[in-house]
Amino acid sequence: MQPSLGQRLIAYTIFFILGVLVLVPLAAGVITAFKPRIIWVSSPPTWIFSPTLENFEFVLIQRNNLLHLRNSLIIASGSVTIALILGVPAAYALARFRFRGSKGLLQWLISLRMIPPIVVALPFYILFQTFDLRNTHIGMMMAYLTFLIPLVIWMMRGYFAEIPSAMEECAMVEGYSRLGALRKVVLPVVLPGIIATALLNFMFAWNEYFLALILGGRDTSTLPAAAATYVGRAQVEWGNLFAINLIIMTPVIILTLILRRQLVKGLSLGAVD
Amino acid sequence: MKVVLQDLVKKYPASDSIAVNHVDLTIADSELIVFLGPSGCGKTTTMRMIAGLETPDGGKIFIGERDVTYVAPKDRRVAMVFQNFSMYPSMTVYENIAFPLQALKRSKAEIDQLVREAAELVGVSALLKRGVRQVSGGEAQRVSLARAMVRRPEVFLMDEPLSSLDAKLRVQMRTEIKRLHQETRSTMVFVTHDQEEAMTLGDRIVVMSQGKVQQVGTPHEVFFDPYNLFVATFVGTPGMNLFDGVIQQSGDTLCVDLQGYMQPIPERFRATLNAKTPTPVKWGIRPEGIRFVDATDPNSLAGQIEIIESLGSRQLVFVRSGDKLFSVIVDSLHPVRQGENCHLHFDETRIHLFEAQNGRSLTQRG
Amino acid sequence: MALPIKTQPPSATRQSQFRIWFYHWSQKNIHWFFIAPALIAILVVAIYPIVYSTGLSFFRVSFDSRERPFVLFENFIWILNDKDYWGALGNTLLYVAVTVSGSFVVGFGLALLLRRISVGRNWIRLVLILPLTIAPIVVGLTWNWMFDPLFGLVNWFFIGIGVQPQTWLAQTGTARIVVMLVDIWQWYPLVFLIMDAGLSSLPKAPYESARLEGASDWMIFTRITLPLLRAVILVALLLRTVDAFRTFDLVRVMTDGGPAQTTETLSLYLYRTAFNFNKLSRAGAGATIMLIVISIISNFMFRFLYREQEGR
Ligand SMILES: Nc1ncnc2c1ncn2[C@@H]1O[C@H](COP(=O)(O)OP(=O)(O)O)[C@@H](O)[C@H]1O
Ligand SMILES: [Mg+2]
Repeated sequence: MQPSLGQRLIAYTIFFILGVLVLVPLAAGVITAFKPRIIWVSSPPTWIFSPTLENFEFVLIQRNNLLHLRNSLIIASGSVTIALILGVPAAYALARFRFRGSKGLLQWLISLRMIPPIVVALPFYILFQTFDLRNTHIGMMMAYLTFLIPLVIWMMRGYFAEIPSAMEECAMVEGYSRLGALRKVVLPVVLPGIIATALLNFMFAWNEYFLALILGGRDTSTLPAAAATYVGRAQVEWGNLFAINLIIMTPVIILTLILRRQLVKGLSLGAVD
Repeated sequence: MKVVLQDLVKKYPASDSIAVNHVDLTIADSELIVFLGPSGCGKTTTMRMIAGLETPDGGKIFIGERDVTYVAPKDRRVAMVFQNFSMYPSMTVYENIAFPLQALKRSKAEIDQLVREAAELVGVSALLKRGVRQVSGGEAQRVSLARAMVRRPEVFLMDEPLSSLDAKLRVQMRTEIKRLHQETRSTMVFVTHDQEEAMTLGDRIVVMSQGKVQQVGTPHEVFFDPYNLFVATFVGTPGMNLFDGVIQQSGDTLCVDLQGYMQPIPERFRATLNAKTPTPVKWGIRPEGIRFVDATDPNSLAGQIEIIESLGSRQLVFVRSGDKLFSVIVDSLHPVRQGENCHLHFDETRIHLFEAQNGRSLTQRG
Repeated sequence: MALPIKTQPPSATRQSQFRIWFYHWSQKNIHWFFIAPALIAILVVAIYPIVYSTGLSFFRVSFDSRERPFVLFENFIWILNDKDYWGALGNTLLYVAVTVSGSFVVGFGLALLLRRISVGRNWIRLVLILPLTIAPIVVGLTWNWMFDPLFGLVNWFFIGIGVQPQTWLAQTGTARIVVMLVDIWQWYPLVFLIMDAGLSSLPKAPYESARLEGASDWMIFTRITLPLLRAVILVALLLRTVDAFRTFDLVRVMTDGGPAQTTETLSLYLYRTAFNFNKLSRAGAGATIMLIVISIISNFMFRFLYREQEGR
């Protein structure tokens, strides 16, 4: 049954309004990132100006945010890589083998995603001092793994469960070890899932603020932590702030655009299963 | 290469019952043996143990002279066709068939030649460049056959490879598997729950139930000479007529008292049957073993035709006699009419007797 | 042929007992080879900290003192007697209730609405999930600016329709409303994604037969769609609830708990206790309580979820 013309009209109107609500703040922010300093806080806002890159130059070079960008890249990609290396095999085993307590183990691992970060942040803060991990990328990555590993397991288990176990068993009979079979026949099939998982985890790690705020040191502070330092000052440097915001937003949005198919599929599997 | 299963036992941790219960079996070299049984009886589990995908909890497996019980699947030199899986989705037909050869590290030229030969044999030569989405279910199943044989395995294992195909294709593939077996002369283990498939394919049939082997024999033996009640009822459609009876001495002959009708027991069984005391038994005869005769025949049972079902060239007639309902198969040209009175004659050579308690055959020849 | 069939064993190649034992052992425990690395990592990065943090709450710990005397329940008692703690708990519960239901209604509604149209679905999807991809902190900062009393777009919009500019984030009446609205703005896409996928996976047959029987749209929704989607709905609610419960980023950059602590959530409160007031172990006690509460809630929802899935 086709929805009536009126229904569709209403639907499109609602989507249009939502689109405005989503896009206008983001677009306005993006535009402000290119505004010259004198019109950052003009009232009413000015929309016609010659765009400039001075805000980006200022925040990246003068304010040393290149370092934070580098930290963000290292910590996010590093922790996601480790989480995948550790989590993907575990997800495979939890999808494949039924053993005593397997269901409970899965539930327990997934529920780790629900720990309030403060529970982790406090002891990490103290333990960093004990083990001299302050101001190291490794320390930051470890803290992030607390949330990334359960998320990887949750999503990847859904992907593995979709693949018939006969696939790798067939390869095992045909002359491959289990690992060989996994690499040659299972991996190509779950690759979209791994990509989606990697993207989503990268997103969480890249956008993370709480742990970065508490645990980040001089050499490990990430972009979100740096961006947050712009609030609370007497005079907010809006142009500079939005320049940083844009730098934070861009990679994730680009990745999402490129990988949107895999992302939607991956999320739904993790959720539905 | 012969395959020997010795006192094989498997119990899954997650289930209470024993999946494979002390199975002893010797499969001869170049034999095509069929495992037949209802679903859940342990056929797949037995096969997976031969392939090495499950480790037995007890017993041993030999392939040829080699004890492979604790050998990894990849080193067993067997090939397996799976019930619910046919093609690696990330590869083309060609890559699928070449896949087992790559594990052997053969040269490109050699692989190419073997792949083309195997593809030729199962008739997928025209599809080599296609992906999994561009082949039909039947074609995919052929690819899995080609992949299984391309390594020239000593033992072929096939787990209901045809069950997902439609009826026509199934019959066609059946013939091809038979041909394949004749051409390669390798040992083949074929699992099915379809008795027609088992009958047409097998050199021998292993009938299984509840993890136990019920009978091993040629299709002829299994059909005409079932070892126990389970085999008698499981094999053959429509099923065997079975009634409770008691063995009794009647005059100087031994008879089965079918509550009113005295059926003499064939001469050759009398020696083995002891009738000093009346023994309760199950008396059975296949629908094909019953004929319609004239009322004048002294050795006949009177009845009335209740239902007639056409089976094409033959017809299935249900005849009521007292409280018993017999199914009889006769030629379609034989005139029968519903409601008509008739007389049944039982072919002596096709009568089976089973012990009432444990179902073992009393009349088995083997 | 009679049973049992006696087979002569071919001469077995000798295998050491150890190899047999090892083969059995490795086959039976193969899953641990795959799980162990993750499990060990989890022990280090999650369990150890949790145990440590719980242990911490029984001592008196601060940054400026090396001494850590054992004080049993002192920290718990202190926290439970702190009216700021109860204030934060109340704020958090309100926050959870409003933002979870808000994001659920919006997300689910949009997913349902998307079924009604055919042209441009993929693009609409993409725009709709955009807020989810943006860091909460960026979202908070952007909306700060939007709500700025001097040059924020929101005020200019209200001036346009004749309303005086407001200091939205500085008034007790409006601050928490604004923050919760922005939270919904950020998180409805998660519900939308999950429900959209759930709706696409629904079977067609029940709908067709319901249509034939002349059921109304509303009946189809309540009698078919909702029951079929129960598990998916539970997952969405579960995720949203635990996330909302620990909200920090958005509030921290938008209001930092103010005005008059009307937006102070539990996470924010614990953060302040630990790092502004230098009461690490008190925060630890609070965190322990929070962990227990979240475990109970999520366990409850998990049970419910598994029952649903088993029932399917
Ligand atoms: N992985 C498993 N875990 C637990 N029980 C199983 C497993 N696989 C099979 N079983 C049980 O073992 C018995 C035999 O199964 P199977 O060998 O698959 O039978 P078949 O192939 O004859 O249908 C069945 O009762 C089945 O439920
Ligand atoms: Mg089976």
